[in-house]
Amino acid sequence: MIISVKDLRKVFTKERREVVALDGFDLEVLESEFVCLLGPSGCGKTTVLRIIAGLESKTSGQVLVHGKEVASSRPRVGMVFQEFALFPWRSSKKNVEFGLEVRHVPRDGRSKVADKYLDLVGLSGFAEAHPHELSGGMKQRVAIARALANEPEVLLMDEPFGSLDAQTRNLMQRELLRIWAATRKTVLFVTHSVDEAVFLADRIVVMTARPGKERESIEVLLPRPRDRTSPEFIAVRSRVLSELDEEFEKARARELSHSPEVKNNA
Amino acid sequence: MNAILKWFKKMPRSQWKLILLVASILLFIGVWYAVSWWTELRDPVQGSLVPPPDEVASSFYWLLSNKDRATGIYLFQHMFTSLERVFLGFALAFALALPSGLLMGRSWVAEGLARPIVEIFRPIPPLAWAPAFLIIFKIFWGPVAVVFLGVFFPILFNVMLGARSVDRTLIDAARTLGARRSDVFTKVVLPYTVPYLMTGVTVGLGIGWMCIVAAEFVSAEGGGLGYFILANSDFGYYPEMYAGMVLIGILSVLTTGLAGLFEREVYKRMGMD
Repeated sequence: MIISVKDLRKVFTKERREVVALDGFDLEVLESEFVCLLGPSGCGKTTVLRIIAGLESKTSGQVLVHGKEVASSRPRVGMVFQEFALFPWRSSKKNVEFGLEVRHVPRDGRSKVADKYLDLVGLSGFAEAHPHELSGGMKQRVAIARALANEPEVLLMDEPFGSLDAQTRNLMQRELLRIWAATRKTVLFVTHSVDEAVFLADRIVVMTARPGKERESIEVLLPRPRDRTSPEFIAVRSRVLSELDEEFEKARARELSHSPEVKNNA
Repeated sequence: MNAILKWFKKMPRSQWKLILLVASILLFIGVWYAVSWWTELRDPVQGSLVPPPDEVASSFYWLLSNKDRATGIYLFQHMFTSLERVFLGFALAFALALPSGLLMGRSWVAEGLARPIVEIFRPIPPLAWAPAFLIIFKIFWGPVAVVFLGVFFPILFNVMLGARSVDRTLIDAARTLGARRSDVFTKVVLPYTVPYLMTGVTVGLGIGWMCIVAAEFVSAEGGGLGYFILANSDFGYYPEMYAGMVLIGILSVLTTGLAGLFEREVYKRMGMD
């Protein structure tokens, strides 16, 4: 077990109002497993990721990465954000080197590792390019290389392809699977796209509406590469979709019945 | 005739701009001559109060190799005194405003502590301090302190604004990559703030040149171009006075241009051009 989350609870306080984002959330991810976290917006998917990454504190519960409690020391996880989050003043290569730099890896070592991962994501030719010279898909490739260069045990991805156009998005999904196959990292991938989850995941964890917890864990046993138009793919898709629809309806019903509640993007 | 018109129409925008630039300068010189003649016509006995451009130019040329009549030293020496003051005031302000701005932008404790003090000083124009600073810091450092104040606030507030608006996800990304607080400060917050800092520097330099002249009016015998202008005006040496004014304009344009070049170089190095 590489990620183990037990009875996680997270309460946000905004303008003196308490919002329970997560309550009784459990999650277990195996080594080299590709898990997609799927749920209606506001269900706390991103919050789960941020807590595992050590970016957010938990209210209660247990979060272990490789048997060790996170939040304390530097967690051995890499994270990829929807907004790319590249440092605009650094070249692709310097972006990839960032994690090694703050860990005081000597210059030669840094350069070697950066070249290796830029090559892995197919950007060897753009080492000296700056983010503003790259397309969205290329930026996200750099971000993936940057996260991997730190050799994390787990790769956390927060809707990484959410801002890409449909074609690029599909291409990046295939690329991610290729990279995943090459590195055998554990991937925890947050998305709100059912299609994306079914295409990528070994297992899809569908979350309930807020407060978020696991509603259903669905193994996707289809062989890769998956064909989005095959009847099997569509069958899994409709199953996940029906689960999600119910939660979406619940969330909507609650929103209509309650007075406007404090929103958070988690 | 038609051919010439066509040729004009085909000229690229950049050439037009050059022509307009020359025309603009010629227009300025023309108006200057006109004003000069007009003041002379009005009072032929006293002569012109606004010396014509050629007179100012020849006076400027004369001042290059002669000690001026009002202060008894070379124009250069005044220039270097002023440059030295502007540079010192600027350097001190920069060195203090940059870390303060970063700190105030990133820490609410630092801001809560420093902001009230800053707000007490800010509404007082730097020039209002000139007499006080002359008493406290004497004739050389008094004007330096005025320049310091003039430069300090634009840099402080711009850096503070920049440090405050650092993209949250960049900090998150740095932290997941293993950056400590100090790394986040030097490798994320500081570079993010550079464009804001440059705005503060450009604005600050402009204010610095305004401050120096007025401060030197006050600190009379301390020398400097402000003193040069005032002294020549007192003696009625108007061509010299105008030559001093022109020199200050030139210096201000040069330093601002230098800052612009520096800014572009920094952006190029940072890959943000």
